[in-house]
Amino acid sequence: MRLVTLSLILSLFLSPEKHLVLLRDGRTLIGFLRSIDQFANLVLHQTVERIHVGKKYGDIPRGIFVVRGENVVLLGEIDLEKESDTPLQQVSIEEILEEQRAEQQAKLEAEKLKVQALKDRGLSIPRADTLDEY
Amino acid sequence: MFSLEDCPLDEDEDAFQGLGEEDEEIDQFNDDTFGSGAVDDDWQEAHERLAELEEKLPAAVNEQTGNGERDEMDLLGDHEENLAERLSKMVIENELEDPAIMRAVQTRPVLQTQPGSLNSSIWDGSEVLRRIRGPLLAQEMPTVSVLEYALPQRPPQGPEDDRDLSERALPRRSTSPVIGSPPVKAVPIGTPPKQMAVPSFNQQILCPKPVHVRPPMPPRYPAPYGERMSPNQLCSVPNSSLLGHPFPASVPPVLSPLQRAQLLGGAQLQPGRMSPSQFARVPGFVGSPLAAMNPKLLQGRVGQMLPPAPGFRAFFSAPPPATPPPPQQHPPGPGPHLQNLRSQAPMFRPDTTHLHPQHRRLLHQRQQQNRNQHRNINGAGDRGGHRSSHQDHIRKDPYANLMLQREKDWVSKIQMMQLQSTDPYLDDFYYQNYFEKLEKLSAAEEVQGDGPKKERTKLITPQVAKLEHTYKPVQFEGSLGKLTVSSVNNPRKMIDAVVTSRSEDDETKEKQVRDKRRKTLFIIEKTYSLLLDVEDYERRYLLSLEEERPALMDERKHKICCMYDNLRGKLPGQERPSDDHFVQIMCIRKGKRMVARILPFLSTEQAADILMTTARNLPFLIKKDAQDEVLPCLLSPFSLLLYHLPPVTVTSLLQQLMNLPQSAAAPAPSNPHLSAVLQNKFGLSLLLVVLSRGEDLQSSDPASESAQSNPWTEVMFVATRELLRIPQTGLAKPISIPTNLVSLFSRYVDRQKLNLLETKLQLVQGIR
Repeated sequence: MRLVTLSLILSLFLSPEKHLVLLRDGRTLIGFLRSIDQFANLVLHQTVERIHVGKKYGDIPRGIFVVRGENVVLLGEIDLEKESDTPLQQVSIEEILEEQRAEQQAKLEAEKLKVQALKDRGLSIPRADTLDEY
Repeated sequence: MFSLEDCPLDEDEDAFQGLGEEDEEIDQFNDDTFGSGAVDDDWQEAHERLAELEEKLPAAVNEQTGNGERDEMDLLGDHEENLAERLSKMVIENELEDPAIMRAVQTRPVLQTQPGSLNSSIWDGSEVLRRIRGPLLAQEMPTVSVLEYALPQRPPQGPEDDRDLSERALPRRSTSPVIGSPPVKAVPIGTPPKQMAVPSFNQQILCPKPVHVRPPMPPRYPAPYGERMSPNQLCSVPNSSLLGHPFPASVPPVLSPLQRAQLLGGAQLQPGRMSPSQFARVPGFVGSPLAAMNPKLLQGRVGQMLPPAPGFRAFFSAPPPATPPPPQQHPPGPGPHLQNLRSQAPMFRPDTTHLHPQHRRLLHQRQQQNRNQHRNINGAGDRGGHRSSHQDHIRKDPYANLMLQREKDWVSKIQMMQLQSTDPYLDDFYYQNYFEKLEKLSAAEEVQGDGPKKERTKLITPQVAKLEHTYKPVQFEGSLGKLTVSSVNNPRKMIDAVVTSRSEDDETKEKQVRDKRRKTLFIIEKTYSLLLDVEDYERRYLLSLEEERPALMDERKHKICCMYDNLRGKLPGQERPSDDHFVQIMCIRKGKRMVARILPFLSTEQAADILMTTARNLPFLIKKDAQDEVLPCLLSPFSLLLYHLPPVTVTSLLQQLMNLPQSAAAPAPSNPHLSAVLQNKFGLSLLLVVLSRGEDLQSSDPASESAQSNPWTEVMFVATRELLRIPQTGLAKPISIPTNLVSLFSRYVDRQKLNLLETKLQLVQGIR
């Protein structure tokens, strides 16, 4: 925690650049980090939520985000020059959402099959609900 | 409302009389409760009069909008005075105690003095206007308080008790204004509250006010700054741009929001007079510029705090160029922006002394890189041109410096304070070890290769003095008895968990076994913590003072004894403790590893005892170790130990290990003990090591060589016989084969058998 916040402070203060935040629920936010506090609560400006599916990604503009510190997994600066230099392909929002849905669907199916197979063999793995995270 | 006497019901005169008496009683009660106002004054009339006033006043305002503020104020002032009188009559004695009400009441007379002044800001105007609308609107009160807070130039209040009560009022930071403009907080959320000076109470307090009996602000607070800015450190820190700063003299007094609040609060209570306590808290590094600006600060700075309304918001966000930042010396216009940027980098010098030098280097490198980038943007030569381009850059991103430097400093100060520790090894073990490892690696590499001379910096951990904060729980004054408020520092017991030991009788066998296992686990844990302490003594020894060392040594010895007792199972009255306790420990994987770590600390006799016990029970342990396969970890400490053992011990050890019959005469039909040992990797390795050691001892001691009745020799004869008898199937592969075994066996057996032995035990390297 200590090193993270130290470098976070330094990066925040010394460069008004874009930052990438990864949240605990898996979302990726990209925006200008405007403000922080001692709990690592963040204020992001002109935020964009980036959804990655395979080699494609899509950006959804979100405006201003205030993130509670406990939900932040990691935070990093984006090198503006290297930002455009990526093998990933940007697609429209609708497309990426479609792709994401398809991916989720596939995952669910696979999970179902697995659970069924286990059940047939007499084993049962309790499903990790989001409520039982802790 | 008509009194009961006027009631037209004439049915029961007696009842009326009774009621009439009751009426008097009721009046009496009223009097007690509400005071004279309820009975003497006709509150109805007063209310009506007020209502009329309400209607009149807005009309008056509308009429006189054009005439100027002053006239308006005067007219309203008259009305205000009437109002005040009436309200003060209405206000009952008891309500004077309630701070919320008092605040409201107190502000009223205050504003009467304001209207005349030309300097009254927009805030004033709106206040008065608002007051006109309706003094009874309760939600306006908090508004007033915040604004009052923000206008510290108000002259001291007239009535004495008002001021006392204002001091007594709840901390203002808890109120939120209901104004159109964004909630302005002079003190950001999360700032520790300014320590309330305990005022002298003239009046009896009815509502208990929590007096926060907190320990004094930890001296750590100014310490980081003091440490930070000592000239030695400044010089030692690489790339200290503070020295080469283009604006050397005019260092902006970067005060944290807390200090700002303190200033404000102090200024409010005693305008024009500075309480030394507040400035004692101001950190050292702004000491000198601050001292110079002291008189200026209060008036000038406080004056700065009162910009016109749009400026107020801008006080907290840099963008509009109209608002200059606090220090007045700097040129207006594009200067502040530049100043802000420049002031960011060099002013912020976190306390990195406790970090590893490599880490610190990395951080400063990065810092420097970024600073260079900015410098490049700013431009060294043509200031005008570059400045404008930079300005453009700033203009395009107006939110860039949303956080003021002081706010950033405040956050980083908090983080730094958290990083300081009295015992870094305890608090940040992995960090310290990681960087130590890195250091060792780089040192090793340096030794090997002829690399450039890297600074061989030793990690010196700054010892922050450990301050004992005795936490005193919050005490409420004026309350009967002691109220317990549970908090982080003062937790309340929620569950009464009582340990009940069950009786032995009604336990089943399984439970007993389980309990025994639990006890063993518990003992292992206790012993492990002792072990960790003992292992840590070396480091403590180095760090401690000369006088403390004998005490440390004693502690260490004592702990080692405790460990041994735990291992062997200390039982009073029993001369020879049973092996059972030890064996139980050795059945558990953690126990085995722990024993391996403890062995180096034990004395030779104690360690030998452990070894013997292990050897005695080896087949059982082997069986239990089948799943874990952790026994081999014991081999190295055992072999190390063996080098210290006398020949007698080695001999008996060998006997135990092989379960050799005492008399050499009649061999037992089979030796399952030995076969078990030989079939296990650890067992076989141990056996070989023991044999090797015996051989070493024999060969090194010329006196015993010739003696035939050497116990060792006898044992060896038996041993070799046994070894020959053992079938070869399933022999384990030992960890290491000592080299002198061939010579060992050659003493005791003839050529033929030697070959046999060799092949069996795979002693000759070629066979494998």
